[in-house]
Amino acid sequence: MIHFKNVSKFYPPDVIGLDTVNLRVEPGEFISIVGQSGTGKSTLAKLLFAEERPSKGTVEIGGWDITKISPNDVPLLRRQIGVVFQDFKLLQKKTVYENVAFALQVAGIPSVRVREVVPRVLSIVGLDDKSHRFPQQLSGGEQQRVAIARALVHQPKILVADEPTGNLDTLNSRDILELLKKINEFGTTVVLVTHDHEIVNRLKRRVITLDGGKIVSDVEEGRYKL
Amino acid sequence: MLTSTYRIIKFAFQNFWRNIWLSVITISMLVLTLLTINILLVLNRVTDQAISFVENRIEVSVYFNENADPAKVTDALTYLRTLPQVKDVQEIYADDALVAFKQRHAGDQAILSSLDELGKNPFGPTLIIKAHSAKDFDAIIAALDNPRFRDAIRQKDFSDYQSIVSKIRQTTDEIRTGGIVLSAIFFLIALLIIFNTVRVAIFIHREEIGIMRLVGASSNFIRMPFLVETIILSLLSILIVIAIVYPTLAFIEPKFNQYFGSGTTGLVSYFEQHGLLIFGAQFLALLVVTMGSTALAMRKHLKV
Repeated sequence: MIHFKNVSKFYPPDVIGLDTVNLRVEPGEFISIVGQSGTGKSTLAKLLFAEERPSKGTVEIGGWDITKISPNDVPLLRRQIGVVFQDFKLLQKKTVYENVAFALQVAGIPSVRVREVVPRVLSIVGLDDKSHRFPQQLSGGEQQRVAIARALVHQPKILVADEPTGNLDTLNSRDILELLKKINEFGTTVVLVTHDHEIVNRLKRRVITLDGGKIVSDVEEGRYKL
Repeated sequence: MLTSTYRIIKFAFQNFWRNIWLSVITISMLVLTLLTINILLVLNRVTDQAISFVENRIEVSVYFNENADPAKVTDALTYLRTLPQVKDVQEIYADDALVAFKQRHAGDQAILSSLDELGKNPFGPTLIIKAHSAKDFDAIIAALDNPRFRDAIRQKDFSDYQSIVSKIRQTTDEIRTGGIVLSAIFFLIALLIIFNTVRVAIFIHREEIGIMRLVGASSNFIRMPFLVETIILSLLSILIVIAIVYPTLAFIEPKFNQYFGSGTTGLVSYFEQHGLLIFGAQFLALLVVTMGSTALAMRKHLKV
């Protein structure tokens, strides 16, 4: 599903984001990428949805080499990869429903299909009764659920969650984790970038640890060791 | 495709409304620019009419000696009619000239008694020459120096109409140059405002644009609303200009006509006949320039 071959990422003048990373993720896996700040976790995530391009090596998603993906193909890639961030990135002037529908509308999906898909996805994340609320009327956990719902509307093969619990308390973090596990059970590959010990330890899934841009450990059913 | 087009137009209108004051300022500048251009067009039309009005009234009176040989007068008449610069030549016989003179000075007893004292008709035949344009009079005056009838001519009455026409041309040329400079300034300001409008719109929508990119919106889908908004701004501007120009012309035309004589300027009918061309061309030119400015702003500030 995801294949990094000798991937390095350098930032001028001499910052190393990633250093010769080799990584293979199978379809349906749930992996956690952990490490301290500045170790290259987010850089790795950004390479997955072509927000960044590698300086060296190749990145393949489902057999598609996206190393030098053309700007015209980036939207197609992003419709196959859902992305969730720590700061939710919701439009404050749009309701929950509108935020989720927005992802379909900008991709040119017909309104009839939008009306079908959005309530279904909101039901998956447990927000079907709050679809007319605005983000500021929701808790942090609920806002993150909206962001996850938006990431799911294209039925992505991969969900990249970059510090999704970074702004949440323990209880909400656990809820989000359960939701990610549920999404993974539906067959979506989940890449979770986090530095939250409890989350990683609770998951008991594959853990990849980065340090100084290198993979220093890759353990099935791992724990947060740093 | 239709769905995307509808949404692009919807987003463009949203941009327009959400920055309504910026839109109003942009439209005001575009309207000012277009109005200046239309004032220049009206000025052009009025100038042409004014010059043609003056030229139609220009004539040279050629007075022959009272005892001039009628054959020479006829020769001069025939010769003048062959000149391409001459529009018309009219002959006034000596007797008719005397009658006309007496009628003109019917209330002036001193002049009439002087005529009586002379005891004969002091007038010779007269030729009234009309030219196609004021510029032609130099050639006509030169032609009257022809030795075949030069000696028979007593006087050539040629008012300096050419200098009047030149003055009209000079004044209108100066106004026109000023107008062109003014429209260029307005145009430049309008372009800067459009550039800024798009830049501000991009800044205001940066979060939305970021999310659009994130969820897989194509570059075209992100860019098109800004271009459509520019079309809306240009279209509204030209419609406002049309709504101002026609009533204004209908109002000022009778005043011009009073000056030139009934129905001479034909401003409204001119704009009615050529309205599609005049405003269509202005709209297209405006569109090309404003969309160019938008494209430039997007290239500089919108990274997709």
